[in-house]
Amino acid sequence: MTQWSGYFGLILQGALVTIELTLMGSVLALIMAFLAGLGRLSRFFAIRALATAYIEFFRGTSIFVQLFWAYFVLPFIGISLTPLQAGVLALGLNVGAYAAEVVRGAIQSIGREQYEACTALNLGRWQAMRHVILPQALLVMLPTFGNNAIELLKATAVVSLISLTDLTFQAQVVRSQTGNTLVPFTTILIIYFALALIISWGVRSLERRMARGLDGVRV
Amino acid sequence: MSAPIIKIDGISKSFGTFKVLDGLSMQVMPREKLALIGPSGSGKTTILRILMTLERIDSGHIQIDGEQLYHMERNGQLLAADERHLARMRQKIGMVFQLFNLFPHKSVIDNVTLAPILTKGMPRAAAEKRAMELLDMVGMADKAKAMPAQLSGGQKQRVAIARALALQPRIMLFDEVTSALDPELVEEVLNVLWRLCSETDMTMLLVTHEMGFAHDFADRVLFFDRGKIVEEGKPDEIFRNPKQERTQGFLKKIIAAGHRV
Repeated sequence: MTQWSGYFGLILQGALVTIELTLMGSVLALIMAFLAGLGRLSRFFAIRALATAYIEFFRGTSIFVQLFWAYFVLPFIGISLTPLQAGVLALGLNVGAYAAEVVRGAIQSIGREQYEACTALNLGRWQAMRHVILPQALLVMLPTFGNNAIELLKATAVVSLISLTDLTFQAQVVRSQTGNTLVPFTTILIIYFALALIISWGVRSLERRMARGLDGVRV
Repeated sequence: MSAPIIKIDGISKSFGTFKVLDGLSMQVMPREKLALIGPSGSGKTTILRILMTLERIDSGHIQIDGEQLYHMERNGQLLAADERHLARMRQKIGMVFQLFNLFPHKSVIDNVTLAPILTKGMPRAAAEKRAMELLDMVGMADKAKAMPAQLSGGQKQRVAIARALALQPRIMLFDEVTSALDPELVEEVLNVLWRLCSETDMTMLLVTHEMGFAHDFADRVLFFDRGKIVEEGKPDEIFRNPKQERTQGFLKKIIAAGHRV
């Protein structure tokens, strides 16, 4: 049994890498989501086109290929990334493309009367967005952002293919060293599930906090 | 005789193939209280929305306080107004909506202070002091910390009025401000309008179906139908002795529907 505790330690180290990737990837995804989501609503055609191209491209190609491209192809044009950097980049850009549509949809779900009140109060476009529209839209985005974060968590498994020692990678190490498949893969299955639960709980409590006083009522 | 504060000159507006306003001209004098009445779809709300720059005009000219609203004079030429010009013109005008349009994520006092802080650079403390005075005037000072969802319709509308007043507009537009309220809540809002009417020298344009209130409140009543002013005059003339057939028909229907005149 002593050998198992060592292997569990290995898997826990993998869990830390997975968590790190998920956090950093989520931050990048969030930034991209707002940039591209707001970009799609821009008055300027060039910005709209750029945002649309980004979203369609990263939704339309495989995360595998994007990751391999970031890690194996970018060095040919002089950009060498560490496995972690490549992983964060691919995951953040990929999930950010999905989340951008969430941002756009949430902003468009805010009623016209809110925009009209802003005009009547002479708020500028950005002031209206920043102080009136986005705070309300954020509440609409949150549940789907939770989904996106869980998607990102699960997608981190692909980074094991570029030799990043995440949960999945470590499980494979344990399997090849012990010959046991059941234990390592069941363990990481449970860990992935537990991490996903933490994300859902976190998002739900954030939602509750932000909805305080609104009572779910749109005035 | 001073110059008109609002001068509308031959404006037209269509939504698709539906012509809402058709070559409309009218003038409003400073401090005048105007009631705009007429059947729905007659264009009265559209006029308020155009004055608030929520809708653009297809043709014609509007002057507010001697300045073009939708046009700018550059080197003797009239150009279409840019956003900066519109923002400057909007400072003179405030609007209260049928459905209040409060910001649901902000408390009552934050609803009132947001625009003065952002658009006039007012310090928060000064903005809050002024907001409390206004909330006091509309009888909502004790609800300053409440969220809009906790208020009744009449209370929301009174907050919305305070919010519009906080920017100290010279012209206030009221778009069917009691139409969405339960009957027992109408009066508290009308009382606030009364105070504004008697205590301030704002120019006020009121679109309403409250004929009794329009009669008491207005210096002049305009009856709209199909995008044109069919009849205008002192409240007594319009309500007691309408000359046009369409005005008579409209008032008859309104009275039949149980509205007090």
